[in-house]
Amino acid sequence: MKRQIPIMLAIIASVCPVIAFFFPDRWINEWFNQRLDAWMVIIASFALLLGIVSMIQVNIHKIRRRARGWGFSIIILVTFTLMAAFGLFGGQGERADGSLYPFTWMFQFVFSPLQATMFSLLAFYVASASYRAFRVRNVEATLLLIGALIIMVGRIPLGTLIHPLVPDIAEWVMKFPNTAAQRGIIIGAALGAASMSVRVMVGIERPYMGKS
Amino acid sequence: MSWADRLLFVDRRIIFLFVFVGALVPIIAPIGLGVTVSPPVQQVFDRIEEMQPGDAVMIAFDYGPSDGPELDPMANSILRHCHFRGVKVVGLSLFPLGGVDMAIARMRQLADELGAADGVGWVNLGYKDGAQAPMKAMGENIASVFPTDANGVPYEEIAMLEGLRNYNNFEMAISLATSILGEWWINLVNAQFGIDVAIGTTAVSAPKYYAYMEAKQTLGVIGGMKGASEYEELVERHYPQAKGLSRTATMGMDVQSIVHLVIIFFILFGNLMFIVTRGKKEAK
Amino acid sequence: MPGQRSRNAGVPGSRRGSLPGDPGWGTLLWRPLRLVALVYLALLGTGGLAGVWVPAAAQDAAAPVASEVFSPAPEGHIPPPELPLDFSVVDTPSDDGSSLTLRWDPDQVMQTLGVATIAALTFARRAVEETEFLPVGRARVRDGEFRDAGLESGVAYIYRIGLEDEDGLLRNTAASAPLVPQANFFRTHRTNALILVLLMFGLVVGFILAARKGIDLFIRRIAGLDAIAEAVGRATEMGRKILYIPGIISVNEPQTLASLGILGYVAKLTARYGTKLEVPNIDPLTMAAAREIVKQSYLEEGTPEAFNEDMIHYITQDQFAYAAAVNGIMVRDRPAAIFLLGWFAAESLLLSETGQSVGAIQIAGTAQVTQLPFFVAACDYTMLGEELFAASAYLSKDPLILGSIKGQDMVKAVILVAIVVGVIMVSAGVPGFADLFSAL
Repeated sequence: MKRQIPIMLAIIASVCPVIAFFFPDRWINEWFNQRLDAWMVIIASFALLLGIVSMIQVNIHKIRRRARGWGFSIIILVTFTLMAAFGLFGGQGERADGSLYPFTWMFQFVFSPLQATMFSLLAFYVASASYRAFRVRNVEATLLLIGALIIMVGRIPLGTLIHPLVPDIAEWVMKFPNTAAQRGIIIGAALGAASMSVRVMVGIERPYMGKS
Repeated sequence: MSWADRLLFVDRRIIFLFVFVGALVPIIAPIGLGVTVSPPVQQVFDRIEEMQPGDAVMIAFDYGPSDGPELDPMANSILRHCHFRGVKVVGLSLFPLGGVDMAIARMRQLADELGAADGVGWVNLGYKDGAQAPMKAMGENIASVFPTDANGVPYEEIAMLEGLRNYNNFEMAISLATSILGEWWINLVNAQFGIDVAIGTTAVSAPKYYAYMEAKQTLGVIGGMKGASEYEELVERHYPQAKGLSRTATMGMDVQSIVHLVIIFFILFGNLMFIVTRGKKEAK
Repeated sequence: MPGQRSRNAGVPGSRRGSLPGDPGWGTLLWRPLRLVALVYLALLGTGGLAGVWVPAAAQDAAAPVASEVFSPAPEGHIPPPELPLDFSVVDTPSDDGSSLTLRWDPDQVMQTLGVATIAALTFARRAVEETEFLPVGRARVRDGEFRDAGLESGVAYIYRIGLEDEDGLLRNTAASAPLVPQANFFRTHRTNALILVLLMFGLVVGFILAARKGIDLFIRRIAGLDAIAEAVGRATEMGRKILYIPGIISVNEPQTLASLGILGYVAKLTARYGTKLEVPNIDPLTMAAAREIVKQSYLEEGTPEAFNEDMIHYITQDQFAYAAAVNGIMVRDRPAAIFLLGWFAAESLLLSETGQSVGAIQIAGTAQVTQLPFFVAACDYTMLGEELFAASAYLSKDPLILGSIKGQDMVKAVILVAIVVGVIMVSAGVPGFADLFSAL
């Protein structure tokens, strides 16, 4: 029973949305599917508690063991506690006098710049990865290099200065070769995902319960 | 190791330094390069342009602070365009980490620079968790998903929202999206409810939306800072009152241009060293 | 009933609709099929749930009879026709009985009223027993139709269309005849998708059954999966850990499920060779599933004492904070092998480039087309799209799973043939062929 109930639940939960897609039945849609959606949100919210407990445990163990980088674990635990306290007890948004509550202040002036910084690192990493990857090793790699150069020049105003047709060529590369390759991969991946889903639906593959 | 080998395996920090300087110089000394408008952006602009005063557009702020530098400028331009056109904007967010803050900041900016009042030209409905579930539910009744706006005012009491019951009442939906949310707007909202969907996204994500655009599942794509600068250009071309307003994406294109050139330089330089070292190896 | 119309040509009292006592083919089919579905669900072990299902007969009895629905509205309820716009109200086909569709001929409207193609029409509706019309939406003249959703089943509705004239004055049409939205059994416009689903299901199950009978099924070599043992071996020799990153989306994503399947295999190898394994997670549900998988693998390898729950831990749900934390682990612990398998977004290059900088052997795999170039540039092996989903079959050599991969390949072949035939037919100008594959 310990194995059969989860498998049965998984089968029902995966089959009902498929039925609802083809058969416009209010009972399946409203009573079952919408309920499943709601359950998913509730379960995910409670699973977050599981995650938080794991995060606290792992970092406490690190501090106790004086593992490499244990100082960072102290920072994690302190900032986690502070933000949780600000969020739960300190209010959010603006005060009447226009000043910000601590949670919002931290969000705007600490979290947001850190996020933007992490994303902007991509520019640096793209540069170093391109330097390594784009080499004229063979014909295919050379074509790849030419395609990359066209897009990089065509996507900046300088492309127009070089020749008015450069942006159009870049747009053509995006519209046709890019789209063709994307579609090929998307169709294959979608079929792979569908096949994987069928395996999960019929219970052949059960990664959700520790059985790969 | 020969000098060519050494240059071929140049320390990545040297590349980082060049990129940093390349990004810094245009910020200190702007170049002011021109903007060429591409069809995917023009299509989005034209769709709003053909709307009548009083029509409504739904804008989903499905991004967080990390994507702000690319998506904030396009949000500003679209909001300005809607304001000049007299089109009502209903903003919302389905992205958990900061989406609602992005919506608040952009709409506040619209109010500050053009005097567009909350509840008259625009309404911010706030954030809803679950992404796909609210997308589907809004096809029936938006008020069931957002019973109040972000300020807690009940949906039914906001005069601007009168008659805006579900997607049927909107001319189009625009998702300023990161992650998988843009694809869900296309696959769920456009496919199931038929409303026109346009996507504004980061430059990295833009290529995947071309396949949807070619299949007519999205009517246009505004990709990254380049797309945002094009939209800024279009708004300024068509609406003289937009002159003098900030054009952060157009300014950012100077940075992007120089950094692209730095990367192109390194790619060509790397290949030159690669050919030199290969030639030497073959000679040996 | 699909196709039943209540056409208003500005003539009050003109009525067309379901005939009293005619249940329609959809209802006739629906009753026995619903019973079959009920039995099916009961067989699946949902007897308790099935008990809640309102039987079709009971629902039908509760619905108003057609004669009630289409009785003429009392005199004086329909205002005199003001806007000479000819439109019809029809039951929306293939829906659950919660919408009606209004249709008009754009060319005719433009000619008769002399308005532009983008002129906005407004729609108002009321239930038969109500007196006030409620605005329900807007559409362009060129749209040709408007679907009014969210209606109650069994209630008859009346519509009118409004259009502002040049002076800004709103003129309304005469009210339409009342019509009750009908629930349909099947979404006919999704027939093509159903055929594809049945084909897929049939072929996959067919090949699974064939595999059960012992038919030898070939699967081509996937370099990225072959390299897993090499990567684990390298980490074992170097005495360093293995970092396994299962993407950034929860277990509702098939790519995450596929990644968890590979994690089970990797965990078996690390359990066998005593190699350290760390699985940092962005999603708590994925973390819970990953823990079970790794625990099971260590049990199967007979080394449960080597399993420690801290090996699989949660970091944060924020994409870039997660990337920063994992990069920190990479730089501090310098893992010998890094697996990046699952659904990735912008953090893909942040992770893989850092992994490259610490000299780790990196095996990546995703179906996210925009991230594949980054992985190809920064990783040693990259599994493209469907290769990730084929991993469990490839690694386990389980004939049942191999059969499903074979079935999937056959569907792909069918799609390829359809594309080629479609290109030829459309290029040759054969009408209607493309519609067979229209969006759903």
